[in-house]
Parts: sequence; C-alpha cells; structure tokens
Amino acid sequence: MDYKPILPERNSNISHNHPVKEFIILASGVVGFILVCFWVLGFFVDIAVNNLSPEKEGLLFSKVNINMGVKADDEPEKREAVQAVVDSLRTCIDVDYPVQVTIIESEKLNAFAFPGGHIVVFTAILDKMESENGLAFILAHELAHFKNRDHLRSLGRGIVLAALSSMLTGADSSISRLLAPTGYLGQAQFSQSRETKADISALEALNCRYGHVGGATEFFEIIQKNGQDVKEGALHYFASHPELRYRIQALRKTAKEKGFHFEEVKELFL
Amino acid sequence: MIDLKILGILIALGYFFGKWAERSHYKSIIKREKEFAKLPTTSTKKPLGNPMVAKAELVCGSVVVSVDYFKRILAALRNIFGGAVQSYETLVDRARREAILRMKESCNNADQIINLRIETSSISKGGKNKIGSVEVLAYGTAIYCMKHNGL
Repeated sequence: MDYKPILPERNSNISHNHPVKEFIILASGVVGFILVCFWVLGFFVDIAVNNLSPEKEGLLFSKVNINMGVKADDEPEKREAVQAVVDSLRTCIDVDYPVQVTIIESEKLNAFAFPGGHIVVFTAILDKMESENGLAFILAHELAHFKNRDHLRSLGRGIVLAALSSMLTGADSSISRLLAPTGYLGQAQFSQSRETKADISALEALNCRYGHVGGATEFFEIIQKNGQDVKEGALHYFASHPELRYRIQALRKTAKEKGFHFEEVKELFL
Repeated sequence: MIDLKILGILIALGYFFGKWAERSHYKSIIKREKEFAKLPTTSTKKPLGNPMVAKAELVCGSVVVSVDYFKRILAALRNIFGGAVQSYETLVDRARREAILRMKESCNNADQIINLRIETSSISKGGKNKIGSVEVLAYGTAIYCMKHNGL
C-alpha cells in the first residue's frame, strides 16, 4: 500500500450555514417566545389585578417603605400642601384607600404611583411648576393610575418579564439585570394607551375640581423646555410614555371635544 | 438602553474581527497542510510499510484558540434550543488542525508520525460554564528511517 498525500476537498467537520442567518433565526425565536409569554401572562396579570380589591391591596402594601432617595423632610409644610391638593382632588377621582404623598429630593422631573396608595413627588417638580393647577394635573394623573389599577399591572408585568429572563438567560446574566423589576416597580408606564387614558381622566378631574383645565399641559411644556424628553425619534415606539408633543396635542383635542376651557391658573406658593 | 447598545457593538466587533481572524487562520492552515502532506501521520501502532527504524521520538504540538463575543452569544442561543453548535465547530476544527501542524513542524525531517493522539481541554475564565478558550494537544511518535547509502 502506497502513501498518497491528498487533502480533502471539502471540510466536513463544520456546518456551512451562514452564522448571521443562524443568529437572526435563533434570536428572533427567543424574542418571539418572550413576547408571546409576556402577552399571555399579561392577560393573567390583568385577571389577577381585577380580582384584587383595593382593601386587600392596601393591606398587602401598607407596610412597604418607599426607598427611592432622600426624603425632603426639612419642610413638612410642603408635603402637607401637596397632600392637601391630592385630598381635594379625591372629591373628583375617588380612590378607595388613603393616599399618602412623599416628597423625595431629586433633580428629575417625575412623580410615581406605588401600590398601597403612595404617591412620590420629586422636589424638582415643586421647584419648576408655577401653578397649582399644573401640579394638580400631575397628581390627578397618578390618582387615575390608582383608579385603573395600572400600577399593579405594571408591577405584575415587570415580575413576569424578570422571571422569563431569569429562566432563559440565568438570574445574574447581564440581560436579567437589565430587566430587573427595580425599574418597573410602581411605574405604571408599560402601555401608551393606559398613559393616554390616565391623561384624559386627569383632565376630567381638573375640570371637575377647578371648573376649567388651565395648567393641564404645563408639566409637559416644562419638560420640553428642559430637554428631558430623550425618547423622541426612533426610540419613541419602544418608550411606553407617549411622545410629549403628541400628549400635549391629545390633551388640547380632548379638552376641545369635551368643552373644557383653559382659564387663569392659581399660582403655586411652594 | 445603553447596555443593549454596548452589547450590539461588542457583537458586531466580535463578528467582523472573528470572521477576519478565522479566515486568515484557515488560509494559513491550508497552506501549511499542503506543505506537510508529504509527512504521513497515522494513528496506527506500527509504521507504514514496515521500514527499518533508526530513531523514534515523542513529538507534540499544542495550541489555544479562543472564541469571539459573537460566537459566544450564538452558542448561548443555541443552548436554549439545542442542536449543533455551529459557532464552536470551526473553533475546534481549526484548533485540531493547527495542533497537528505544529506537531509536524517540530519534526520536519521525520519520515512518518505514528500513534497520533489528540486531547482537547477547555480553559474557562472562571465564569460559570463559559468555555472561552480551547486547548488542543496533538502528540505522536516521529519515526526516522534508516537512510540507505546511494538513495
């Protein structure tokens, strides 16, 4: 037997599919699966939320301590003033459990609704808002989220997302850390349509409380001026907050449809 | 969002640089395999053709090859669905062939290499179940035949 030095023509030890094609197929499979699970489990979250009465919710979450930052405790009259606005709005949007306001030191223009009837307002809002009506709109928006139980829905969905991600990629993978519920806790911002619904409810509450809707768009106009709306553009579709311009337009349109007027606003003394 | 962007950049970098590194490695491998095709290498216990053996020695070649980030992500996705992990196939193939070539290079004047064995081990960076690099060791016995006068 002679030795003939011949090399194989085709490498049969490797697959000859294009790796990018494989990557796209696998990645869209995973993403598709997650989306379907999220959507299906969202239904169950909604059913659970509809069956959780406000009294039970109050019991469950009443002992939760808000840990979002330094409480602005040095001026309790500010907190009381905001609490008074919230309480006055409750004649127009009633929530079945007591709502407590907490003021937190922060430069960010934001306010949150937490399960259990907690509303958190950042000090930047108190500094930048000029009218009581504008502040009332923000608070009425959060109260509307409570009324629609949106904060519970977003909490439930956040947990579902985090659980799915932990199952598939491991509890401490970078993807799971990215999706950890800390970002979703209490923020009822998982759906543009729910945000719009809360906006409309807030508009109605404002009209009910003050007789007009002056100051409703003040908050969004301030954000626009401060350039905090980084979600404009391509990312708009993925941000669960409707784009600011659209929100302001929608508010004006709804006011017109419902016959609400924009009148003089009450100045905010804080 | 910034984490996703960084992930995307790493994957893209991994893909392009990995593809380039792999292609140039394969070119080098194919070229050298042609050169060394004249050196018979078998896994048999006895030399081919039953020659008179003047010298025999242990030769080995080893190499450590690593995956790029893109391949790692692809393998992680594949781990969810099961099936052939394509991205690691080329890695192991290249490592094996490179190790054999280095072994052949270490005994250039040998007449044949017998009893070829190949061992593979993974070198993880301490991450859980993350195989980042693969070490392949190829070893065998190099046979030097008696040279007849006049040939």
